[in-house]
This record gives sequence, structure tokens and C-alpha cells, in this order.
Amino acid sequence: MANIAAQRIKREFKEVIKSEEVAKCAIKVELVNDNYTELKGEIAGPPETPYEGGTFVLEIKVPETYPFNPPKVRFITKIWHPNISSVTGAICLDILKDQWAAAMTLRTVLLSLQALLAAAEPDDPQDAVVAKQFKENQDMFKQTARHWTSIYAGGPHRNTEFDLKIRRLTDMGIEDHQARVALSSYNWDLERATEQLFS
Amino acid sequence: MGEERSTLHDRFDTGVNQDELILQQQRQIEKEISEKTPLVGDMENFSSLEKEYAGDAVYCQKVQDLSAKYKSMRRTRPDGNCFFRAFSYAYLEQLLNNPEEYERFYALASKSKDNLVALGFPQFTVEDFHDTFMEVVSRVGKGGGTFTQTDLHKLFNEQGYSDYIVVYLRLITSGRLQQEAEFYQHFIEGNRSVTDFCHQEVEPMYKESDHIHIIALSTALNVGVRVRYMDRGESSEVIAHDFPEGTRPSVHLLYRPGHYDILYP
Repeated sequence: MANIAAQRIKREFKEVIKSEEVAKCAIKVELVNDNYTELKGEIAGPPETPYEGGTFVLEIKVPETYPFNPPKVRFITKIWHPNISSVTGAICLDILKDQWAAAMTLRTVLLSLQALLAAAEPDDPQDAVVAKQFKENQDMFKQTARHWTSIYAGGPHRNTEFDLKIRRLTDMGIEDHQARVALSSYNWDLERATEQLFS
Repeated sequence: MGEERSTLHDRFDTGVNQDELILQQQRQIEKEISEKTPLVGDMENFSSLEKEYAGDAVYCQKVQDLSAKYKSMRRTRPDGNCFFRAFSYAYLEQLLNNPEEYERFYALASKSKDNLVALGFPQFTVEDFHDTFMEVVSRVGKGGGTFTQTDLHKLFNEQGYSDYIVVYLRLITSGRLQQEAEFYQHFIEGNRSVTDFCHQEVEPMYKESDHIHIIALSTALNVGVRVRYMDRGESSEVIAHDFPEGTRPSVHLLYRPGHYDILYP
């Protein structure tokens, strides 16, 4: 079994590096170890989304039963998205669960994740806090997601107002990321974020 | 699905993913089943089935009827792939001794890949599964002592080969459904399109088969299947359904709610 998984991944690996998406720098895969059980993926944030300009790194673990069971994938790069946990990077996507089919490939997975970044499914959330913001305050969601992209994924849009608010909290001894999470969760209401952090 | 936590306080200490846990439990159950039942079992008479239903009048009568109509049975692992596995085993087993039918099937199977690629399935994986499928079919064709029933049985109990065959048959089934989408749309409940149905119920491994799967596969391969139904229904007989309707069945399967095994007339 393990042998089938490794052989298949080897072939897929070659398929991805030859693909036109790689040529366009939209997706990328690298080996982490020699036995093809773990890979590192990368996807570019899709244009005209808050993730544009960012590069998102993924952890891909290939189970022994691959391709009959899906690869285990999670975001290493922190991201603000309704279907991705802002804490663990866990992903809620049907093809990584019960709708995986053996005819799919790493390339399909990476392209589907990229599509997920462009079209969130807030009614089937992984991160309830983000999903709520997405549904109730689209504009706030976009700004927050763009801010996370600039901080964690190398995106181009710094937001000085958000930076200042974080600074206010870090000056009080709160750790940078923790401050960002609290502010993001409370729609950048400094007072409520502070209250929550010190409660 | 998958909501991790609702309050902010939890955010920092729980990273538990519910879906992940459910999947893990599912895998565990699958593992227990697989340790108990081989992918395809040995040929057996109906005494074990009789024992299984001892004291159950309705079923006992049906086992009686079954043993009047069939000589023996062969069990398959109840892993959701049983229809595909039972069908391919029973059919390939017959091809071992039927060179004429083998020629017909070989030609059809060889061409089946182009069909799938034309329908938009990714060439890369279709080729992978088709290659393995054809490797098995070719071995069956050697016949004459070089590839025997025992070899086929061994091969079907090697998870890798066995599952590759299942996947390829799932693809052929999906291909047929999509090709004749207009017709099959009538059999799909809810608002799902045929393509959605294929993505959700046909292509993924472990998804159970229904009439629609059987009709599509038997038509695509032009192989008749007779399914004998053993359930709580009132008849004292095991009722037969032939797919596609009106064809001479070459594969006989026993259906009990949620599961298919092979029957030998």
C-alpha cells in the first residue's frame, strides 16, 4: 500500500512541476522528506480578493492509503478566512473529506484551495468567528483578511490604522499575534478587544 | 460542519477539529471491518448464511429459496465498494473461461479511457487507473494455466490492485451517467445535477451503490447483472432484478440491505 501511495505521489509531483500554473507561479510543491509522505505546497492569493499578492504555505501529509483517501492539508501561513481555522490552519473543504476521489491529484487540491480563497462558503464554516464577520460585515472582513495577508503572507497592503491599534495593545504587554486576533475578532474595536484580553 | 469554537477564550487553547475526529473514527471502524473480512472471500455454501439468520423466519425462508436457485456464494468486504468489487470479480472470473466474450470486453475496455478523457476527466489519473485495470484484464486473458482462478483471487485480495479496479469502474460509471445525463437526471432525487451526483456518490471510494450505479455500469460495459434481493419484503422468494432490463445476466449478485455478495448458479 505505502508503495502505491509513494509511486503515485512521485508521478503527481512531476505533473505539478510541469503544469502551466507553476509556470505562472500560481501554485508550487516541494518535497519535505525523501519518502514522499510529506510535502510543502504554496498557493498565490487569487487576484481581486483580499489575499491578492500573498503567498500561502500549506502542509501536505500523504496517508499510506493515498490515493484512496485524501491527503491531509492545512495552512501553515496564518490566514483570515471563514473556511480555514485562524488558529490551527485546518481547512473545511468537501474534497479533502468525504468527497475526495482517487482520480483527484495534488494539483486539483491546490487549485481547489485557491478557488476556496476566491469564494468562501460561510454557511459551512471552519472558523465561526470569521464566518460571522464575513456574513455581517463584509467590508470589515475584507480589510481584516487583507491585513492578515500583508502581515503573514507578504501581501502589499499595510493598514496603518490597524497597526496602530495593535501597537497600543503590544505596549500593554500583549503579544503581537494575540493582539491581532482579539482586534480582528471584535471588528477592530480597541476597547472591546482590550476588555476581552484583560478579562 | 466543522465549527471549532464559539467564544474567544477558547481560541488559544483548543485546536480540535471535529471533522478530523469523525474521519478518524470512521477509519477505525473501517479498519476493524477489514481485519474481519477479506476483500473477497472463498466460495462457500449457504450453511453459514443459514446460521446467520437462525430463528428469523422471513430470512430463513429466503435462504432456502436462494439455495434452491444457486449452488454457492462468495462474500465481499462490506466497505461501500462491494458492488464494484463483487461485479468485477465475478465477471473477470467468467472471462477466464470465455475467450470470445473476453475479446469483446478487451476491445471495449481498451477504448474506455479515451471516452473518459473526452468527458473531461484528468488524463493523468485516468491513465494511471486504466493502465492498472488493463494490466489485470490482460493477465486474465492469458488463461491456459498461466493465470488461474487462484491468481485472480489473490490479486483481488491485494488492496492496491483491488482498489484500483474499483476506482476505474467508478470512473466508467460516472462517465456513463454524465454521457447520458438527460436520461439519468430523472433518477436523481433533490436538486442535484448528474455531475454533482457523480462527484458526491459515484467517484469517491466507499460510497455505496444504488440501482442507478448498477444500470450505468452494466450498460456501459454491456454486461448483464442479475441482483437477487434478500430483505424483509413479503415474498418467500428472493426476487430477481436484471440490469439492464431484458439482458441475459452473466453476473449474479446477492443483495442484502446495504451490501452485495457474489452468487454462483
